[in-house]
Amino acid sequence: MATDIDTATDRQRGRASLVDGRLLSLCLGSSFVVVASLLVQVSFGTYSMSIPEAWGAVADAAVWTNPQVLFRFLLGEGLGNIVASTLGFSTAEVDLATATNIVWNIRLPRVFVAILAGMALAVSGAIFQAVTRNELASPFILGVSSGAGLTVLLTLVVFSGATFVVPLTAGAVVLDPTALLPFTAALGGAIAFALVYAIAWKGGTSPVRLVLAGVVVSTVFQSLQRALFTFASDIGVVQQALAWTTGSLTGVGWGQVRVALPGTLLAVVLALLLARQLNVLLLGEKTARSLGMPVERMRLGLSVVAIVAAAASIAVAGIVSFVGLIVPHVVRNVVGSDYRKLIVGCLFVGPALLCAADVGARLFFEVVFDQPQQLHVGIVTGLVGGPYFLYLMRKQDTMGEL
Amino acid sequence: MSRQDQDSTQGPTTGGGEPAADGGESVDPDGADTRWATPAHDESAGSAIVGEDLAIGYPSTDDPIVECARLDVPQGEITALVGPNGSGKSTLLKCLARELAPERGGVVLNGRALQERSSKELARELGHLSQEHDSPSTLTVEDLCYHGRYPYRGLFDSLSEADDRAVERAMSLAGVDHLADAELGQLSGGQRQLAWIAMVLAQDTEVLLLDEPTTFLDLHHQLRVLETLRKLNADEGVTVCVVLHDIAQAARFADYLVALRDGEPYDWGPPREVVTEELLADVFRVDAAVRYTPEPEVIPRYALAEESDEEGTADPVTDTTPEESATDTTEKSGAGVTDADGRRSDDDAE
Repeated sequence: MATDIDTATDRQRGRASLVDGRLLSLCLGSSFVVVASLLVQVSFGTYSMSIPEAWGAVADAAVWTNPQVLFRFLLGEGLGNIVASTLGFSTAEVDLATATNIVWNIRLPRVFVAILAGMALAVSGAIFQAVTRNELASPFILGVSSGAGLTVLLTLVVFSGATFVVPLTAGAVVLDPTALLPFTAALGGAIAFALVYAIAWKGGTSPVRLVLAGVVVSTVFQSLQRALFTFASDIGVVQQALAWTTGSLTGVGWGQVRVALPGTLLAVVLALLLARQLNVLLLGEKTARSLGMPVERMRLGLSVVAIVAAAASIAVAGIVSFVGLIVPHVVRNVVGSDYRKLIVGCLFVGPALLCAADVGARLFFEVVFDQPQQLHVGIVTGLVGGPYFLYLMRKQDTMGEL
Repeated sequence: MSRQDQDSTQGPTTGGGEPAADGGESVDPDGADTRWATPAHDESAGSAIVGEDLAIGYPSTDDPIVECARLDVPQGEITALVGPNGSGKSTLLKCLARELAPERGGVVLNGRALQERSSKELARELGHLSQEHDSPSTLTVEDLCYHGRYPYRGLFDSLSEADDRAVERAMSLAGVDHLADAELGQLSGGQRQLAWIAMVLAQDTEVLLLDEPTTFLDLHHQLRVLETLRKLNADEGVTVCVVLHDIAQAARFADYLVALRDGEPYDWGPPREVVTEELLADVFRVDAAVRYTPEPEVIPRYALAEESDEEGTADPVTDTTPEESATDTTEKSGAGVTDADGRRSDDDAE
């Protein structure tokens, strides 16, 4: 019989099933959106330069041919030089043209932060949706965002002005509170999620109880956030705090890229490696358990990954709503529920959504009304995400089930 | 014990049976034999699973739902747990699968207490298909089967040759290899159940527990599921313990029956000894005729009045439902097992 041939192709198919045309076009399309947003973002700003000038600055050979410049951007002045010298590159100063300086120091980092935050939020949402077996789950719903937001606000309001000196062998590194934000955010997110888990626990957890507990906890934490405004000493801090709670990319620089990068990278790598575990969780708790998975422990571990991701993004961009909820939906509609593909898709669609939204947030008033105001990006994602979610709800009868 | 067993048990039936109508299909498990091997209980066989002094309940209930002094699942045979709704058969199965810890007593699997194993170790020895599982609609049959290899893989391990082989074997045993690329959402309920069975088979365990695998399936797929289990048992000597809703089907299909009433075993043994008119009256509360022609036939006639001094765990209406479907099954299955219509409906769905 032809079974031998069949089984041979079977095997190839099993291995090659990750190459998916729809996923590929989704990723290409999203990358296109990101690149387009990047080119738009670098072309506008208070310092006027022509579009060819701006785009030329992005491709400036002075940056790309000097690794130490890239290292210094990515890792900071001190660490960048250390890494560059240990890798055998020169640490010589490079004189950059004014346009290049502006594009690379002011306009580009904002796009990079949007990319990182988009990835982190999308992956976080995707994980939470599998862990709670609920399509409506997101770091926002489960209280993680509010918890992280609260501790971020606490850091900003209570500890603003304080600095921390960390002694290292190669000299002391002075940290201001913003460098600690990912940690305080992760701590807050973890505390909130632990509370949610504890409230929902009743000899095991259920998706519905988790979401309900999440709503309870985030309501309380949001109230506490508002209460903190009362204690803010001056209006500047209040404005800054408001930007955090809405989610904003205004004024972010390389410092924020450095803050968001490690957590995002770690969470993304773990999410990709653990995609199969997420897939098994989708088969139902009982099946996962009968296959030998320690379900509660796995859920907890995966939640930690999702919290790290959410915290990395909240630490730099504040609470950007809807990205963590919408992006996994969009990707799932295109590539299906396989998390090996879903996570990859999220890594592209998340940045695309956030970058495009940030273009809108930054340039809407400037281009349409010729006014210098900028919106917070969280407002744009909310305005776009809300109706889109409504549309999904109308279209899909099975919404809410995974 | 596998090969010889297969020959000896299948020998008598293949001769009499007409050649399979679907011989042209590449699926050999169906092609070989459309009839079940004759059920036979071997007294001398040891027990794969022994439950002793069990009291099983849920955290939400005060009193145990099942109490059982001793329960044996004979090695290398097919055991069916039967009983009316609420008799505790699913609860008992959950306890045997370690999904539910007993309040008292213990379960011994292959000579070792159940809880001495890690969860993956257990999943390599014992496969369990529960009644509640979710089928992500875009998951392909093959990918589902690969999940059955979970207990053999470390957290970050990639697939091995052994995994590929086990999945191929499982899909061909369950007769779903032609559906490997189909997504679960496109399949009929019966095909989906076969895909799930293939997943459990990919676990490659010596013992298999299944909770009502035939409920809600059409007749064709009910028999496909049971044939797959029979075949697996005959070919590989896998011990099967299955909760069945349908006493007539259980009587024909199982080597060994355990009948439960109100959370206690009422009777156990080979079907011929267990399935009697008295059992149907006592356990299932129906008046029925039981005949052997030589296949066991159960013909329910009417529901008996509820005994007034009973605890009243189940109402008479739900009690009779299984028997009504049982009539259906026996009569039709007597006529012809895998009729052409059933096959065709199967193909249409592709």
